Amino acid sequence: MAFYVTENCILCKHTDCVEVCPVDCFYEGPNFLVINPDECIDCALCEPECPIDAICSEDDLPDDQQHFIQINIDGAEKWPNITEQKSPMPDAEKWNGVADKLKFLDRS
Amino acid sequence: MAFNQEKVLEVTHWNNTLFSFKTTRSDAFRFHNGHFVMLGLKVNDKPLLRAYSIASANYEEHLEFLSIKVEDGPLTSKLQHLKAGDHLLVGKKPVGTLVLSDLTPAKNLYLFASGTGLAPFMSIIRDLETYERFEKIILVHSVRYKSELAYHSYIKDQLSKHEYLGEMITKQLIYYPTVTREKYYNQGRITDLITSGKICQNIGLAQLNPETDRAMICGSPGMLKDTSEILDGLGFRASSHTGDPADYVIERAFVG
Repeated sequence: MAFYVTENCILCKHTDCVEVCPVDCFYEGPNFLVINPDECIDCALCEPECPIDAICSEDDLPDDQQHFIQINIDGAEKWPNITEQKSPMPDAEKWNGVADKLKFLDRS
Repeated sequence: MAFNQEKVLEVTHWNNTLFSFKTTRSDAFRFHNGHFVMLGLKVNDKPLLRAYSIASANYEEHLEFLSIKVEDGPLTSKLQHLKAGDHLLVGKKPVGTLVLSDLTPAKNLYLFASGTGLAPFMSIIRDLETYERFEKIILVHSVRYKSELAYHSYIKDQLSKHEYLGEMITKQLIYYPTVTREKYYNQGRITDLITSGKICQNIGLAQLNPETDRAMICGSPGMLKDTSEILDGLGFRASSHTGDPADYVIERAFVG
Protein backbone atom coordinates (compact mmCIF):
# COMPACT_ATOMS: atom_id res chain seq x y z
CA MET A 1 0.00 0.00 0.00
CA ALA A 2 1.05 3.58 -0.54
CA PHE A 3 -0.18 7.14 -0.29
CA TYR A 4 -1.16 9.19 -3.35
CA VAL A 5 -1.48 12.88 -4.15
CA THR A 6 -4.96 13.71 -5.44
CA GLU A 7 -6.68 16.39 -7.50
CA ASN A 8 -6.75 19.24 -4.99
CA CYS A 9 -2.95 19.59 -5.23
CA ILE A 10 -3.24 20.80 -8.83
CA LEU A 11 -2.27 24.49 -9.03
CA CYS A 12 -1.66 24.61 -5.24
CA LYS A 13 1.49 22.53 -4.53
CA HIS A 14 2.06 23.54 -0.91
CA THR A 15 4.98 21.07 -0.45
CA ASP A 16 4.60 20.73 3.36
CA CYS A 17 4.51 16.97 2.65
CA VAL A 18 7.98 17.02 1.15
CA GLU A 19 9.55 18.23 4.37
CA VAL A 20 8.38 15.26 6.47
CA CYS A 21 8.92 12.41 3.99
CA PRO A 22 11.62 10.12 5.42
CA VAL A 23 12.35 8.54 2.05
CA ASP A 24 12.07 11.63 -0.17
CA CYS A 25 9.57 9.98 -2.50
CA PHE A 26 7.88 13.15 -3.81
CA TYR A 27 8.31 14.24 -7.42
CA GLU A 28 7.45 17.67 -8.76
CA GLY A 29 5.57 18.49 -11.94
CA PRO A 30 4.89 22.03 -13.23
CA ASN A 31 1.69 22.43 -11.17
CA PHE A 32 1.30 19.18 -9.18
CA LEU A 33 3.23 16.84 -6.88
CA VAL A 34 3.19 13.06 -6.96
CA ILE A 35 4.33 10.23 -4.71
CA ASN A 36 6.32 7.35 -6.11
CA PRO A 37 4.30 4.40 -4.75
CA ASP A 38 7.30 2.07 -5.09
CA GLU A 39 9.32 4.25 -2.75
CA CYS A 40 6.56 5.27 -0.30
CA ILE A 41 6.93 3.29 2.96
CA ASP A 42 3.39 4.01 4.07
CA CYS A 43 4.53 5.94 7.14
CA ALA A 44 1.51 8.28 6.96
CA LEU A 45 3.41 11.39 8.03
CA CYS A 46 2.62 13.40 4.89
CA GLU A 47 -1.15 12.95 4.92
CA PRO A 48 -1.94 15.25 7.88
CA GLU A 49 0.74 17.75 6.80
CA CYS A 50 -1.10 18.73 3.63
CA PRO A 51 -2.98 21.95 4.46
CA ILE A 52 -5.59 21.21 1.76
CA ASP A 53 -6.05 17.45 2.38
CA ALA A 54 -4.82 16.37 -1.02
CA ILE A 55 -2.95 13.25 0.15
CA CYS A 56 -4.79 10.00 0.62
CA SER A 57 -3.89 6.40 1.43
CA GLU A 58 -4.79 3.84 -1.21
CA ASP A 59 -7.40 2.39 1.15
CA ASP A 60 -9.17 5.70 1.58
CA LEU A 61 -8.91 6.89 -2.01
CA PRO A 62 -12.40 7.99 -3.13
CA ASP A 63 -13.82 6.41 -6.28
CA ASP A 64 -13.60 9.68 -8.19
CA GLN A 65 -9.86 9.90 -7.44
CA GLN A 66 -8.80 6.36 -8.42
CA HIS A 67 -7.27 7.58 -11.69
CA PHE A 68 -4.72 9.52 -9.62
CA ILE A 69 -2.90 6.26 -8.86
CA GLN A 70 -1.73 6.12 -12.48
CA ILE A 71 -1.06 9.88 -12.54
CA ASN A 72 1.25 9.46 -9.51
CA ILE A 73 3.05 6.51 -11.12
CA ASP A 74 3.54 8.36 -14.41
CA GLY A 75 4.63 11.61 -12.76
CA ALA A 76 7.20 9.86 -10.59
CA GLU A 77 8.79 8.46 -13.73
CA LYS A 78 9.22 11.71 -15.63
CA TRP A 79 9.42 14.49 -13.05
CA PRO A 80 12.38 15.44 -10.80
CA ASN A 81 12.62 14.43 -7.17
CA ILE A 82 11.77 17.21 -4.70
CA THR A 83 13.36 16.98 -1.24
CA GLU A 84 12.83 20.40 0.32
CA GLN A 85 9.79 22.51 1.00
CA LYS A 86 9.26 25.61 -1.12
CA SER A 87 6.60 28.30 -1.50
CA PRO A 88 3.19 27.17 -2.74
CA MET A 89 2.02 28.24 -6.20
CA PRO A 90 1.05 31.93 -6.37
CA ASP A 91 -2.71 31.35 -6.54
CA ALA A 92 -2.77 28.30 -4.27
CA GLU A 93 -5.35 29.82 -1.96
CA LYS A 94 -7.71 30.63 -4.80
CA TRP A 95 -7.50 27.14 -6.28
CA ASN A 96 -8.00 25.22 -3.04
CA GLY A 97 -11.21 23.21 -3.27
CA VAL A 98 -12.05 24.17 -6.85
CA ALA A 99 -13.80 21.24 -8.55
CA ASP A 100 -12.62 19.50 -11.71
CA LYS A 101 -9.06 20.73 -11.70
CA LEU A 102 -7.82 17.70 -13.60
CA LYS A 103 -8.15 19.56 -16.90
CA PHE A 104 -5.52 22.03 -15.66
CA LEU A 105 -2.96 19.34 -14.81
CA ASP A 106 0.24 20.13 -16.70
CA ARG A 107 1.61 16.73 -17.63
CA SER A 108 4.73 18.05 -19.35
CA MET B 1 17.40 8.70 -1.05
CA ALA B 2 20.50 9.96 0.70
CA PHE B 3 22.15 7.97 3.49
CA ASN B 4 25.29 7.80 5.60
CA GLN B 5 27.42 4.73 6.10
CA GLU B 6 27.80 3.91 9.81
CA LYS B 7 29.76 1.27 11.65
CA VAL B 8 28.22 -1.08 14.23
CA LEU B 9 29.83 -0.55 17.64
CA GLU B 10 27.94 -2.97 19.84
CA VAL B 11 25.07 -5.49 19.61
CA THR B 12 22.86 -6.63 22.51
CA HIS B 13 20.55 -9.62 22.17
CA TRP B 14 17.71 -9.29 24.67
CA ASN B 15 16.18 -12.68 23.89
CA ASN B 16 15.61 -14.74 20.75
CA THR B 17 13.21 -12.23 19.22
CA LEU B 18 14.72 -8.85 20.16
CA PHE B 19 18.08 -7.15 19.84
CA SER B 20 19.51 -3.64 19.87
CA PHE B 21 22.66 -2.16 18.44
CA LYS B 22 24.77 0.97 18.62
CA THR B 23 26.42 2.57 15.60
CA THR B 24 28.71 5.47 14.87
CA ARG B 25 26.97 8.79 14.17
CA SER B 26 27.95 11.11 11.34
CA ASP B 27 28.75 14.63 12.51
CA ALA B 28 26.08 16.25 10.36
CA PHE B 29 23.31 13.91 11.53
CA ARG B 30 20.89 15.94 13.68
CA PHE B 31 17.56 14.74 15.08
CA HIS B 32 14.91 15.43 17.70
CA ASN B 33 14.50 12.85 20.44
CA GLY B 34 11.59 10.61 19.40
CA HIS B 35 12.40 10.74 15.68
CA PHE B 36 12.76 7.74 13.38
CA VAL B 37 15.07 7.24 10.42
CA MET B 38 15.52 4.79 7.56
CA LEU B 39 18.10 2.12 8.31
CA GLY B 40 19.34 -0.92 6.47
CA LEU B 41 21.91 -2.79 4.45
CA LYS B 42 22.95 -3.24 0.89
CA VAL B 43 21.44 -6.50 -0.34
CA ASN B 44 22.48 -7.65 -3.81
CA ASP B 45 23.97 -4.20 -4.32
CA LYS B 46 20.65 -2.51 -3.65
CA PRO B 47 19.87 -0.60 -0.44
CA LEU B 48 17.20 -2.35 1.64
CA LEU B 49 15.93 0.05 4.29
CA ARG B 50 13.20 0.15 6.93
CA ALA B 51 12.06 2.86 9.34
CA TYR B 52 13.60 2.59 12.83
CA SER B 53 13.05 4.82 15.84
CA ILE B 54 16.26 6.21 17.28
CA ALA B 55 16.64 4.91 20.84
CA SER B 56 19.64 7.04 21.80
CA ALA B 57 19.40 10.68 22.87
CA ASN B 58 20.44 13.43 20.49
CA TYR B 59 23.40 14.56 22.60
CA GLU B 60 25.06 11.15 22.46
CA GLU B 61 27.92 10.43 20.10
CA HIS B 62 26.49 7.14 18.89
CA LEU B 63 23.11 6.06 17.51
CA GLU B 64 21.12 3.22 19.01
CA PHE B 65 18.28 1.12 17.58
CA LEU B 66 15.96 -1.64 18.83
CA SER B 67 14.76 -4.33 16.44
CA ILE B 68 12.80 -7.53 16.32
CA LYS B 69 14.20 -10.61 14.60
CA VAL B 70 11.96 -12.05 11.93
CA GLU B 71 13.12 -15.39 10.56
CA ASP B 72 12.06 -14.62 7.00
CA GLY B 73 12.02 -10.80 7.28
CA PRO B 74 13.86 -9.36 4.26
CA LEU B 75 15.92 -7.03 6.46
CA THR B 76 15.76 -8.28 10.05
CA SER B 77 16.76 -11.82 9.01
CA LYS B 78 20.08 -10.23 8.02
CA LEU B 79 20.27 -7.46 10.64
CA GLN B 80 20.05 -9.94 13.51
CA HIS B 81 23.46 -11.31 12.55
CA LEU B 82 25.11 -7.88 12.84
CA LYS B 83 28.34 -7.73 14.78
CA ALA B 84 30.68 -4.97 15.83
CA GLY B 85 32.59 -3.59 12.87
CA ASP B 86 29.84 -4.27 10.29
CA HIS B 87 28.58 -1.40 8.16
CA LEU B 88 25.02 -0.08 8.03
CA LEU B 89 23.16 2.49 5.97
CA VAL B 90 21.37 5.21 7.94
CA GLY B 91 19.12 7.71 6.14
CA LYS B 92 20.01 11.39 6.32
CA LYS B 93 16.50 12.54 7.12
CA PRO B 94 15.18 11.71 10.60
CA VAL B 95 11.50 12.67 11.02
CA GLY B 96 8.53 11.79 13.20
CA THR B 97 5.65 12.91 15.34
CA LEU B 98 6.75 11.77 18.82
CA VAL B 99 8.32 15.08 19.78
CA LEU B 100 7.98 17.09 22.99
CA SER B 101 7.39 20.29 21.03
CA ASP B 102 4.02 18.94 19.88
CA LEU B 103 2.71 18.60 23.43
CA THR B 104 1.21 21.55 25.29
CA PRO B 105 2.43 22.19 28.87
CA ALA B 106 1.07 19.99 31.67
CA LYS B 107 2.10 18.18 34.82
CA ASN B 108 2.63 14.52 33.88
CA LEU B 109 3.79 12.82 30.72
CA TYR B 110 2.65 9.27 29.95
CA LEU B 111 4.71 7.28 27.44
CA PHE B 112 2.68 4.29 26.24
CA ALA B 113 4.71 1.67 24.36
CA SER B 114 4.04 -1.87 23.20
CA GLY B 115 6.87 -4.13 22.01
CA THR B 116 9.61 -2.31 20.11
CA GLY B 117 7.48 0.83 20.42
CA LEU B 118 9.70 1.38 23.45
CA ALA B 119 12.57 2.60 21.24
CA PRO B 120 11.67 6.29 20.76
CA PHE B 121 10.90 6.58 24.48
CA MET B 122 14.40 5.38 25.36
CA SER B 123 15.46 8.60 23.65
CA ILE B 124 12.75 10.74 25.28
CA ILE B 125 13.54 9.52 28.83
CA ARG B 126 17.16 10.50 28.34
CA ASP B 127 16.24 14.04 27.24
CA LEU B 128 16.78 16.84 29.76
CA GLU B 129 13.84 18.79 28.33
CA THR B 130 11.46 15.95 29.29
CA TYR B 131 12.33 16.45 32.97
CA GLU B 132 12.22 20.23 32.70
CA ARG B 133 8.78 20.28 31.14
CA PHE B 134 7.06 17.60 33.21
CA GLU B 135 6.96 16.74 36.92
CA LYS B 136 6.42 13.02 36.48
CA ILE B 137 7.20 10.89 33.44
CA ILE B 138 5.43 7.53 33.40
CA LEU B 139 6.87 4.98 30.99
CA VAL B 140 4.38 2.15 30.42
CA HIS B 141 5.85 -0.72 28.42
CA SER B 142 3.60 -3.62 27.48
CA VAL B 143 4.97 -6.90 26.12
CA ARG B 144 3.71 -10.46 25.77
CA TYR B 145 6.46 -12.22 27.72
CA LYS B 146 8.83 -11.04 30.46
CA SER B 147 11.83 -11.76 28.28
CA GLU B 148 10.61 -9.06 25.86
CA LEU B 149 11.12 -6.30 28.43
CA ALA B 150 14.17 -4.91 26.65
CA TYR B 151 16.22 -2.38 28.64
CA HIS B 152 14.40 -3.50 31.79
CA SER B 153 17.35 -3.53 34.18
CA TYR B 154 18.92 -0.54 32.44
CA ILE B 155 15.80 1.54 33.11
CA LYS B 156 15.31 0.15 36.61
CA ASP B 157 18.85 0.20 37.91
CA GLN B 158 21.23 2.09 35.66
CA LEU B 159 19.34 5.16 34.49
CA SER B 160 19.27 6.60 38.00
CA LYS B 161 23.07 6.72 37.81
CA HIS B 162 23.02 8.69 34.55
CA GLU B 163 25.85 11.22 34.57
CA TYR B 164 23.72 14.33 34.08
CA LEU B 165 20.11 13.24 34.51
CA GLY B 166 20.42 10.65 37.27
CA GLU B 167 18.97 12.81 40.01
CA MET B 168 16.00 13.99 37.94
CA ILE B 169 15.35 10.47 36.68
CA THR B 170 15.31 9.11 40.23
CA LYS B 171 12.77 11.71 41.33
CA GLN B 172 10.63 12.00 38.23
CA LEU B 173 10.63 8.82 36.13
CA ILE B 174 8.15 6.05 36.91
CA TYR B 175 8.71 2.80 35.01
CA TYR B 176 5.64 0.58 34.61
CA PRO B 177 6.39 -2.64 32.72
CA THR B 178 3.42 -4.92 32.05
CA VAL B 179 3.17 -8.43 30.62
CA THR B 180 0.13 -9.87 28.86
CA ARG B 181 0.79 -13.60 28.40
CA GLU B 182 2.47 -14.77 31.57
CA LYS B 183 2.46 -14.02 35.27
CA TYR B 184 4.09 -10.74 36.29
CA TYR B 185 3.64 -8.13 38.97
CA ASN B 186 1.88 -5.89 36.45
CA GLN B 187 -0.38 -7.72 34.05
CA GLY B 188 -2.61 -6.80 31.15
CA ARG B 189 -2.89 -4.62 28.06
CA ILE B 190 -2.28 -0.89 28.24
CA THR B 191 -5.83 -0.14 27.17
CA ASP B 192 -7.33 -2.20 30.00
CA LEU B 193 -4.88 -0.76 32.50
CA ILE B 194 -5.93 2.77 31.56
CA THR B 195 -9.67 2.20 31.53
CA SER B 196 -9.64 0.30 34.81
CA GLY B 197 -7.58 3.11 36.32
CA LYS B 198 -5.06 0.51 37.48
CA ILE B 199 -1.88 2.24 36.28
CA CYS B 200 -2.75 5.49 38.00
CA GLN B 201 -3.87 3.65 41.14
CA ASN B 202 -0.63 1.67 41.30
CA ILE B 203 1.59 4.73 40.93
CA GLY B 204 -0.52 6.97 43.14
CA LEU B 205 -1.66 9.52 40.57
CA ALA B 206 -5.18 10.64 39.69
CA GLN B 207 -6.83 9.04 36.65
CA LEU B 208 -5.61 10.35 33.28
CA ASN B 209 -7.02 13.76 32.62
CA PRO B 210 -6.29 16.31 29.86
CA GLU B 211 -6.04 19.06 32.48
CA THR B 212 -2.91 17.59 34.03
CA ASP B 213 -1.60 14.89 31.68
CA ARG B 214 -0.02 14.51 28.27
CA ALA B 215 0.75 11.32 26.37
CA MET B 216 2.84 9.82 23.61
CA ILE B 217 1.88 6.49 22.05
CA CYS B 218 4.03 4.08 20.06
CA GLY B 219 3.05 0.52 19.23
CA SER B 220 1.25 -1.71 16.78
CA PRO B 221 -1.52 -0.16 14.64
CA GLY B 222 -4.17 -1.89 16.78
CA MET B 223 -2.64 -0.64 20.03
CA LEU B 224 -2.40 2.91 18.61
CA LYS B 225 -6.01 2.91 17.54
CA ASP B 226 -7.38 1.49 20.79
CA THR B 227 -5.26 3.71 23.04
CA SER B 228 -6.11 6.82 21.00
CA GLU B 229 -9.82 6.03 21.28
CA ILE B 230 -9.56 5.75 25.05
CA LEU B 231 -7.69 9.05 25.33
CA ASP B 232 -10.20 10.72 23.00
CA GLY B 233 -12.95 9.41 25.27
CA LEU B 234 -11.23 10.97 28.27
CA GLY B 235 -11.25 14.33 26.49
CA PHE B 236 -7.68 14.38 25.18
CA ARG B 237 -6.99 16.06 21.84
CA ALA B 238 -4.52 14.45 19.42
CA SER B 239 -1.95 16.54 17.59
CA SER B 240 -3.21 16.60 14.01
CA HIS B 241 0.15 17.10 12.33
CA THR B 242 3.69 18.18 13.20
CA GLY B 243 3.76 21.71 14.57
CA ASP B 244 0.30 21.39 16.12
CA PRO B 245 0.87 21.08 19.89
CA ALA B 246 -1.93 19.17 21.63
CA ASP B 247 -2.64 16.72 24.48
CA TYR B 248 -1.10 13.65 22.87
CA VAL B 249 0.97 12.49 19.90
CA ILE B 250 1.20 9.09 18.20
CA GLU B 251 3.81 7.45 16.01
CA ARG B 252 2.11 7.04 12.67
CA ALA B 253 4.97 5.10 11.16
CA PHE B 254 5.10 2.03 13.36
CA VAL B 255 7.85 -0.33 12.47
CA GLY B 256 7.62 -3.96 13.57
